Amino acid sequence: MTLIFGGLALGAVYAFVAIGYNIVFISSKTFNFAQAQLIMIGSFVAYTGLVTLHLPAPVVALLALAVVFTVAAIEERVAIRPLKDPHAVLVTTLGASVLLDGAAQLIWGTQPLPVPFFGGDGVLTILGGRAYPVELALVAVAVLLVLLLTWASKRFVLGLALLAMSEDREAAMLRGVNVRRLVFGSFACAGALAGVLGLFVGPETYAVATLGTALALKGFVVLAIGGFGSIPGTLVGGLIVGLVEALASRYLGGEFATIAVFAVFITILMARPAGLFVRTRERAV
Amino acid sequence: MNRHVLVLGAVVSSAALVLAGCGGAASSGGGAGDPYRVLVTGGLSAQGVLATNSKTSVISAQASADEINKTGGIAGRRIEVTVVDDGGDPTTAVTKLREAIAKRKPDLYLNSGPSVIASATLPILQQNKILSFNIGPTNESADPGKFPLNFDLSPSPTDYAKGFIAHAKEKGYQKIGILYGSTSYGASFVREMHQALTAAGLQVVGEQQFDAKALDMTPQLQNLRGSSPDAIAMTAYGAPVGYVLKSLAKIGWTVPVLGDTAVSATSLVSTPPPDGVLGTDQVANLMMEVFDSTVYDPADTSVNTAVAAMKAKAEGGVIPSTLINAYNYDALALVAAAAADVGKADDPSAIAKAIEKPEVLARAKTAILHDYHYSATSHSPNATADAFVFIKPSRLDSGQFRP
Repeated sequence: MTLIFGGLALGAVYAFVAIGYNIVFISSKTFNFAQAQLIMIGSFVAYTGLVTLHLPAPVVALLALAVVFTVAAIEERVAIRPLKDPHAVLVTTLGASVLLDGAAQLIWGTQPLPVPFFGGDGVLTILGGRAYPVELALVAVAVLLVLLLTWASKRFVLGLALLAMSEDREAAMLRGVNVRRLVFGSFACAGALAGVLGLFVGPETYAVATLGTALALKGFVVLAIGGFGSIPGTLVGGLIVGLVEALASRYLGGEFATIAVFAVFITILMARPAGLFVRTRERAV
Repeated sequence: MNRHVLVLGAVVSSAALVLAGCGGAASSGGGAGDPYRVLVTGGLSAQGVLATNSKTSVISAQASADEINKTGGIAGRRIEVTVVDDGGDPTTAVTKLREAIAKRKPDLYLNSGPSVIASATLPILQQNKILSFNIGPTNESADPGKFPLNFDLSPSPTDYAKGFIAHAKEKGYQKIGILYGSTSYGASFVREMHQALTAAGLQVVGEQQFDAKALDMTPQLQNLRGSSPDAIAMTAYGAPVGYVLKSLAKIGWTVPVLGDTAVSATSLVSTPPPDGVLGTDQVANLMMEVFDSTVYDPADTSVNTAVAAMKAKAEGGVIPSTLINAYNYDALALVAAAAADVGKADDPSAIAKAIEKPEVLARAKTAILHDYHYSATSHSPNATADAFVFIKPSRLDSGQFRP
């Protein structure tokens, strides 16, 4: 069970990245390569707030939300909005991720910084396995977040507008949806979410400048497994990737962990090219 | 016809002169009154730890030059150190080196790593017959048959393994597990460690690799635990060190962990909470391999002199990283001893031959590694086990651990 807890916790971290990717993708059909770096910045802000400034966790959550919201908003204005060709977004958001990596190194250095978890650091024994409280919290937060976002997307006008944009951008505009504002809003909100999640990810991974790079690719795999645009898919994809990685490391060896993840990834895409939770639709041409 | 031959001859002669001017390196001079020119390159503008290590490397050369100049320089020539920022990029390093050679050929070249810089610059140094010392060894850099004027300063993985064996035997460990990252150094570490441990009569009961980007080492440690080792030999740097320690605590395994010099260079283990884990249960079973010079000893005059000289050169008086990056201090001491043996400093081949002599190496006032064992067949330091010690994680001050 120790192995399962660890795998699920890692899967939850990957799912957080994929959720951010998805929020941006649903609103703008673009892919924000810097989403994992936003979580990294969130973990650094959590370190600064909790360790350097000795602030209470709720205040640090608000601080991280505000800081990463601002970073994401700036990224949208500088790296997304001026572009006329949406394909160029891939390059500019990749550039933003490199800039954020460099900025994190300049501000916080290159060494890993421990982020305390407000739920405690002692090892718990549950169902015959051992886990840190933050690992259980990661899984719980991932499940709650996915349920909340799924419910909100169907319940509120804003969520429906985003879904409409995702289906047909032009039609949504004709129905009065302010597409530009919603794209900006979803980008910044994905950033704000990443900031708050930094409080949970940092205690598991340390706040370290290489974190964004470590998470970005796995986050993309999770997104593709679950299906572009599917929030529940990110949870299932994340948990699959986390578990496959942990089990492959245990029973095949650490050198096969990433290979096993990509083998599962390719197998799933061969069976369901659009991902587990998105259906391909035929179009008359 | 004769006129054509004359014109052709003139053109060919002119072209040859021009090509000779372009291709040939500028003379280094090298007269008794000339300074002994040392070119030091390092990734000063690189990102992260590479820049920090390069700064230590550069100030170690400057500090060594100051100390040797106080006693008359190298064969009577005052050392002049020129520092060039290569950004840690081999292309830039090659360009800067070529520029420096074209301007005025240095007598000695010191690079501050990494290995790719050595790979890129060694052929140029060889072509221009420039004596060099190298912090980032390559597969061929210590081979005098290929690069007779180059000497590696960093011990090889085989040398580091000697320290592990001595410590394991002292502690009575018979069965060793090996944990390593998916890097080229990790591959080299496991290969050399396995070979050396087995040759020393110890048993390697398990080898586990982790992805350099892995965030959890629990599965690898569970695998190793299954083979019941007496201790784990580990190479890791940065966050992976923390992941290993966290995972060990999670599974409640108290096996002794023997970390290499990369582990000791990770500030997480030498910094007390809340910025690090020094003094916590996580490092209770960790021992780290370091050079004996990297541990503070008030009686070690040569190292303390080097540290004082480096602090005098360092920005704000702070040595940016551990003394393990300060090999260049020894490079100049080795050249000074060799030049004293030869009687002059302007013959790089003679200096290189002198550095291969045991009596010259014994006279060299090195500090970072007290003994180098270069020979006509190997330009690797061939450090002995006593060059290394294993210490508990401890506070780092002025590049040295203070257990």
